Amino acid sequence: MKRMTIAKIALALGGVLTTVAFLMAFLWASPSSYADGRVDFAQKIFYFHVPVAEASFLVFFFTALYGLRFLMTKERRFDVKARIATELTLFFVLLTMATGILWTRVEWGVWWQWEPRLTTYFIMTLLVVAYFVLRNSVEDEEKRAIYAAAYGILAFLDAPISFFITRWINSIHPVVFGGGANSGLESNMLVTFIIAQVGMLLLGYSFYEMRLHEEEVKERLEALKVSIGG
Amino acid sequence: MGASSWQQFKAILHKDLVMEMRTREMITSMGMYALLTMVVYQIALAEAGDSFDVRLVMPGLIWVAFIFMSLLGLNRSFVHETDQGCIDALLLAPIDRPVIFFAKFVGNLIFLLVVELLSLPVFSFLFLQGREGIANPVWMLGVVLLGASIGISGVGTLLATMSVNTSGKDIMLTVVFVPLMYPLLRAAVGATFAVVIGGPASVFMFWSWMAWAAGFDVIMLVAAFGLYEFVIGA
Amino acid sequence: MDSELTYTDALEVSGLTRAFGVRKALDDVSFTLPKGAFLSIFGPNGAGKTTLVKVLTTLLNPSKGTARVCGMDVVRDAVELRSRIGLISHNPLLYADLTAEENLLFFSHLYGVPDPERRVRDLLVNVELDHRRLDVTRTFSRGMLQRLSIARALLHHPDIIFLDEPYSGLDPHAMDILDELIAQIRGEHTLVMISHDLTKGLELCTHALILADGKVVLQQPKTDIDEGLFRETYRATVGMGVA
Repeated sequence: MKRMTIAKIALALGGVLTTVAFLMAFLWASPSSYADGRVDFAQKIFYFHVPVAEASFLVFFFTALYGLRFLMTKERRFDVKARIATELTLFFVLLTMATGILWTRVEWGVWWQWEPRLTTYFIMTLLVVAYFVLRNSVEDEEKRAIYAAAYGILAFLDAPISFFITRWINSIHPVVFGGGANSGLESNMLVTFIIAQVGMLLLGYSFYEMRLHEEEVKERLEALKVSIGG
Repeated sequence: MGASSWQQFKAILHKDLVMEMRTREMITSMGMYALLTMVVYQIALAEAGDSFDVRLVMPGLIWVAFIFMSLLGLNRSFVHETDQGCIDALLLAPIDRPVIFFAKFVGNLIFLLVVELLSLPVFSFLFLQGREGIANPVWMLGVVLLGASIGISGVGTLLATMSVNTSGKDIMLTVVFVPLMYPLLRAAVGATFAVVIGGPASVFMFWSWMAWAAGFDVIMLVAAFGLYEFVIGA
Repeated sequence: MDSELTYTDALEVSGLTRAFGVRKALDDVSFTLPKGAFLSIFGPNGAGKTTLVKVLTTLLNPSKGTARVCGMDVVRDAVELRSRIGLISHNPLLYADLTAEENLLFFSHLYGVPDPERRVRDLLVNVELDHRRLDVTRTFSRGMLQRLSIARALLHHPDIIFLDEPYSGLDPHAMDILDELIAQIRGEHTLVMISHDLTKGLELCTHALILADGKVVLQQPKTDIDEGLFRETYRATVGMGVA
């Protein structure tokens, strides 16, 4: 129960922080860099695009970690944790793609660009979806968990390789369109960014805990059903 | 009594080679696939005619063909193990699981390389003539084939062991395999492009791409090797 | 094969459980089987018979409990144990595109059988398949596959042989040959057989076990078996249906 309380606090705090960051992004941090006073949307989106991108990668790490722990111990709870972590990864990855597409549109005028982060996250989307497709196609529970763990680990190793290779390609053939919003963060931008990042991570954590709790309740229900003879 | 790992490795590899040579299932299906792909490419490029240097897209197209061809081969390599339940017979024997992995990995690698080496000249004949042909020495293409095929076979062997036990079978293999292969594929295309098109920086680019491929191979092969034990026992 | 193993019980199973999540394939199974015995395992579909055999043949690991086969632990001594076990399944476990001889030679190399060519020839003669040794097994009938399967299981001189529904799908002639072969090998080996044929199973066995829902329902040496009561229990158990 105590864990749920922490999760709820994290949810509230995360929600507040993210909202604050949102407001800060638009009202406070680095006012418009355009002479005519238009809002630099690309920069605003950046405050959310990068945090969700980083959050998704962090959560993906837990997919691999719990996968590994499952393989070592064969304890079912690690498989449950790995699966939930992957669900969360999917959530954040899709957010990354959505904000990324918006950002590309605003920054460069086209809806899609094969730039390093978008390419990598596109691959990550495919990897995470493949994870679930794999899970769904194995009947036996233990086999499903083992396969998922193995694939999760491979996928997690693959993601950074994809990222670095696309970054290297970018350095060889730089994308011609304007400089990214990554260049030099002034202090007020940095604060907004950090608040958004922390907010996202807290939200992520709370979602994870709540899903885990939900799974545990389901399991107890299953066990009850079986013992009654259902 | 007791067989050494090397003897067991040789036995499995020998068995797979004999079976393949007798039935020619994998090589035929892979070879046919490569040829059919070339026909489709001709159709795809037909309208473009002479307006561009087809050598610019050929490296990419070749690797598309090879990737999907290897999926065919990988899938088949496990079908007769599971068909007759032979995999249980293998697992019953006093054999270390990694030995099974290496034997399968090497077998798949051999078949893949054979078909690639046979179809590359055909590709070249059909699409890379005229202009200046292939700019850099041809042995460099061999290096690309080897580097990429090692990664394809290594990861593919692990994935095929899993996918053959799922309800999706070959579709499943495609779904899990392609995203994982992205960095290797990109490096293979880059390296092939450097060989075919040439130019002042091409040798440097070639080795850079091969470095990426090698990095991928090492990391993913070690991971696949470590994970195989868990996957094959499942 | 190296030193003779000394053990009294071919099987010592204690509290064997195999579960993942809520469902238990095997639930606290315990029994022993003396060396040289013939155990028949009965039970409805889904009772856990195949799971039990898979655990005993090291193909699966138990979640709880222990099992010792020929004095060796199925988890800790798994690799060594495998060279003492033979399995005959309703799947032939043979490669369709290899000849009978090639199949047996392959497995002899895996097991490190000394003088493999001689051993393979002897076994082929024994199971009356010598005349077909150069034919690919794809051309074999079910009965022939079963005979070759027995040869495969015997290659490495196992101490204990597991048979998973070996009679299923066999025509009467093939069944006769199987009977003969079993009669031949049972003297020197411990045998464990899963069967749906109550009569056959009881006839051949020295010990009987009924499994249902992963649990042991009945376990007796043949001398203690009241056949009528046994049949009753069996019918009742199988009537319970799938777990």
